[in-house]
Amino acid sequence: MKKSSIFGLVIIAIAIAVIISTYSSSSTYGSFADAKQSGSTLQVVGHLNKEKELYYDAKRDANYFSFFIKDNKGAECKVIFTGTKPQDFERSEQVVLTGKMVGSEFHASKILMKCPSKYTQDKVEVTEVSAKQASI
Amino acid sequence: MDTAFKGEHLIPGHLGQFFIVLAFGAAILSTISYFFAAHPNNKLDKSWLWLGRIGFWLNTTSVVGIGTCLFYIISNHLFEYHYAWAHSSRSLPVYYIISSYWEGQEGSFWLWGFWQAVLGNILIWKAKSWERPVMAVIALSQVLISSFLLGIEIFGTRIGSSPFILLRQAIEGPIFSRPDYLGYIKDGNGLNPLLQNYWMVIHPPTLFLGFASMVVPFAYGIAGLWQKRYKEWVNPALSYALFAVMILGTGIIMGSFWAYESLNFGGFWAWDPVENASVIPWLTLIGAVHVLIVYKNTGHSYFTALFLTLISFILVLYASYLTRSGVLGETSVHAFTDLGMNAHLVIDVLVFLVISVGLIVLRWKDLPISKKEEETYSREFWMFVGSVFLALSCLQLVVVTSIPVWNAVFGTKVAPPNDKVTLYNIFQGAFAVVVALFMGFTQFLKYKKTEPARFLITSVTYLVSSLLIGGVVVWLTGVYKLHIVFVLLTFASIYAVLSNIKVLIDALKGKFKLTGSAVAHIGFGLLLIGALISAGTSKVVSENTTGEQYSAEFAKTTDPRENIMLYKNQPIKMAGYEVTYTGDSVALPNHYFKVNYKKYDANGKVTEDFTLKPNSQANRKLGLVSSPDTRHYLFRDIYTHVTMAPIKYDDELQSQAEGGHEADADDDKNYDPAVPHEVAIGDTIRFREGFMVLKALNREAKIENITLAATDVAVGADLQIVAHGKVYMAEPVYLIKDNNGYDFAKKVGDVGLKLRLSKIIPAKGKVEITVYQQPESQKPYIVMRAISFPYINFFWSGTIIMVIGFLMSIFRRNKELKTV
Repeated sequence: MKKSSIFGLVIIAIAIAVIISTYSSSSTYGSFADAKQSGSTLQVVGHLNKEKELYYDAKRDANYFSFFIKDNKGAECKVIFTGTKPQDFERSEQVVLTGKMVGSEFHASKILMKCPSKYTQDKVEVTEVSAKQASI
Repeated sequence: MDTAFKGEHLIPGHLGQFFIVLAFGAAILSTISYFFAAHPNNKLDKSWLWLGRIGFWLNTTSVVGIGTCLFYIISNHLFEYHYAWAHSSRSLPVYYIISSYWEGQEGSFWLWGFWQAVLGNILIWKAKSWERPVMAVIALSQVLISSFLLGIEIFGTRIGSSPFILLRQAIEGPIFSRPDYLGYIKDGNGLNPLLQNYWMVIHPPTLFLGFASMVVPFAYGIAGLWQKRYKEWVNPALSYALFAVMILGTGIIMGSFWAYESLNFGGFWAWDPVENASVIPWLTLIGAVHVLIVYKNTGHSYFTALFLTLISFILVLYASYLTRSGVLGETSVHAFTDLGMNAHLVIDVLVFLVISVGLIVLRWKDLPISKKEEETYSREFWMFVGSVFLALSCLQLVVVTSIPVWNAVFGTKVAPPNDKVTLYNIFQGAFAVVVALFMGFTQFLKYKKTEPARFLITSVTYLVSSLLIGGVVVWLTGVYKLHIVFVLLTFASIYAVLSNIKVLIDALKGKFKLTGSAVAHIGFGLLLIGALISAGTSKVVSENTTGEQYSAEFAKTTDPRENIMLYKNQPIKMAGYEVTYTGDSVALPNHYFKVNYKKYDANGKVTEDFTLKPNSQANRKLGLVSSPDTRHYLFRDIYTHVTMAPIKYDDELQSQAEGGHEADADDDKNYDPAVPHEVAIGDTIRFREGFMVLKALNREAKIENITLAATDVAVGADLQIVAHGKVYMAEPVYLIKDNNGYDFAKKVGDVGLKLRLSKIIPAKGKVEITVYQQPESQKPYIVMRAISFPYINFFWSGTIIMVIGFLMSIFRRNKELKTV
């Protein structure tokens, strides 16, 4: 066999290995129910329940932040994050949590939040406009 | 709209929009003219050529015109324009107006178009016989980029997004039905505080110059196929490819440096999709540069060279689709929104993909692909293999980064890897091991054929010496504790550096033309070593084991507890340092926290003493936005970043600064219940954080703004306060004026004390000192995170050396161009 064809085969093998490993290392999006059932690490998409308390008190523990998330199926769960409250968390519209269920709490190791109005600011906030009207 | 709106300045917008349409039209004219000019029948007729040039010049003028109008709008705070309103504010300093220019997508498209126009003009000037076909491709690319700025509705769909759209057109709101609405829009949204950094002024232009210059080698490749000049295109394309690689590499590392210096994710690289998108085309073009050289020298690897050159530009377009279409959605921290240009971006990719594939298929039979096999002991073979491995590492990046795209295409719902950083590090590390090894031993091979015995002896000698040096490095830096891939990568990178040092030394002796590549390779090797050691052995030094145990489950978590809390003036021991939060300084909108680090030797003598000033902005719209501060040593950095602090919003601080200080009336509420102490001179009073001694009573105390009559008495208590190893003096005063007693309290902010001389008891020869202590919860504090990054300077210096190497190579290749 020619050297170039051997090399070609090696390349194809590596390429296939890359794709398979990507597939196997990829995670799944799930709900809190899935997380409870599987017990393994997965990603939950949901949104913050802004009516319940966001708890962070640096004086008691600088690495404890808890809040309540409603997942896309409507189930609500208490989430605990080992760290400080991410900047502007209250305003997030969608949250992607990576973590697993421990008992009845979801322990998140990563929080990714989307605040669509953050960079584009394509919303004139009603409160803001009225505040400006009052100032004249 | 029939309403006449008051105070709007519509002329700059209309003018800008006119320039956009003109730029688009002129680019089309230029493309068509150059296309016909390139036709073999028109070689002698220069009218098409001139029409093409005029079109392109007109386009360049319009692009400059768009920029001028936009600059005028932003710098004059014309908030009736959405772009100015969304990205700037009145308080923004002039140099950041430039940053706000490219904060939005429209501005960055403009930047791209501007650089492409500049490059086009250079090509008109320099490209000579290549001008017609190459400029046809560049002008076509300019058509597409201009179209992204159009913002015009055609057949019911909006094409592109214009930066000159008015606020009232972009946003709906009842306020906009008022003719005097502009009176209420007092200020813009301002620039994201994270982007208010001098790196944001120079990083995007560099990056976009890199992206824009990728089109030039692509255009040469296409022109070569089109005009059947299959071999000639390689030489000019090589110089431009080197230029693109140098600029794009610089731009990427600038972004990385900016992230490290002023963002808070705690590192210089996070494998975020946006970062990946910029590094993917860089890697393929690096591969392309190598195989172009192979082809030039030996005639081998023609197809690989062509393929990598073309795919690099297509990947640039794919990257802009990834980052600008909003498809990354849930996977990226960078919030990119969908401006409704999804299809438009896809078309951009497809146009150039179809042209490339079409031409290759059309010309396939004529391509000068060599039928001969390369020798195993030849430089060209291993350069080729190395380039293919670079492309494979790209494949991994593309496949994983594009997971959201696969989801969109196949309707699946796959989430990206849970721990993508480790995944990428190991995969890319493994590819880097192979590439670095090739970078090493290929230096000992010659083109065509090398004598195996001699090659094996030298390459193995160098391999053994790099194993020895590498062993020491791995041991000293602690890399041996990491995954085996990183240990191997250390050896391989050192091997690459050593081999290329040998080449450099030889080159300095005479074979001067090889210096460029040797320097670039040494730089890249150092970059790998620096990245590997600093990222691999970086350590959070602010590990915190205190804190309440909220629940049994929480106590068991293995997540690192990386944040430490510091009360003001209470030192804490941390990784050999004594760390103290000593105070604040405010320069609106930044709030700086002074964090003092001290290191003592065995005898208790201070060996190091420095203060870092990480800062935060408490922004109403964005919350607490923090920037780190870093202590740089030669071989190590200490990175410090405030994650949480109870500070006031910047607008409150502003009004406080303007409106004077608040009334003192309720001040006592800020303290624990007062404790009175009866003391004589020399007595000591203890309090929670230290003690104080009444040194003397001063019968001639003075009080500001109060003149004392002869009958008045003012007594001051000289108190020496010792807390946290520091000594403070305070003198509360008791005043008898017109037979009424008053007392004037003194505060010692650093220890949270308020002291009153509340009574004088002449009978006992004592006085009563009332001590107010701030409760623990009222004391100022910060929560911070500190990370040490060892050997990170290798990363930065490696980059600089690599860029110098690229520059030297460009000069060499240009010299060759002239002599040919």
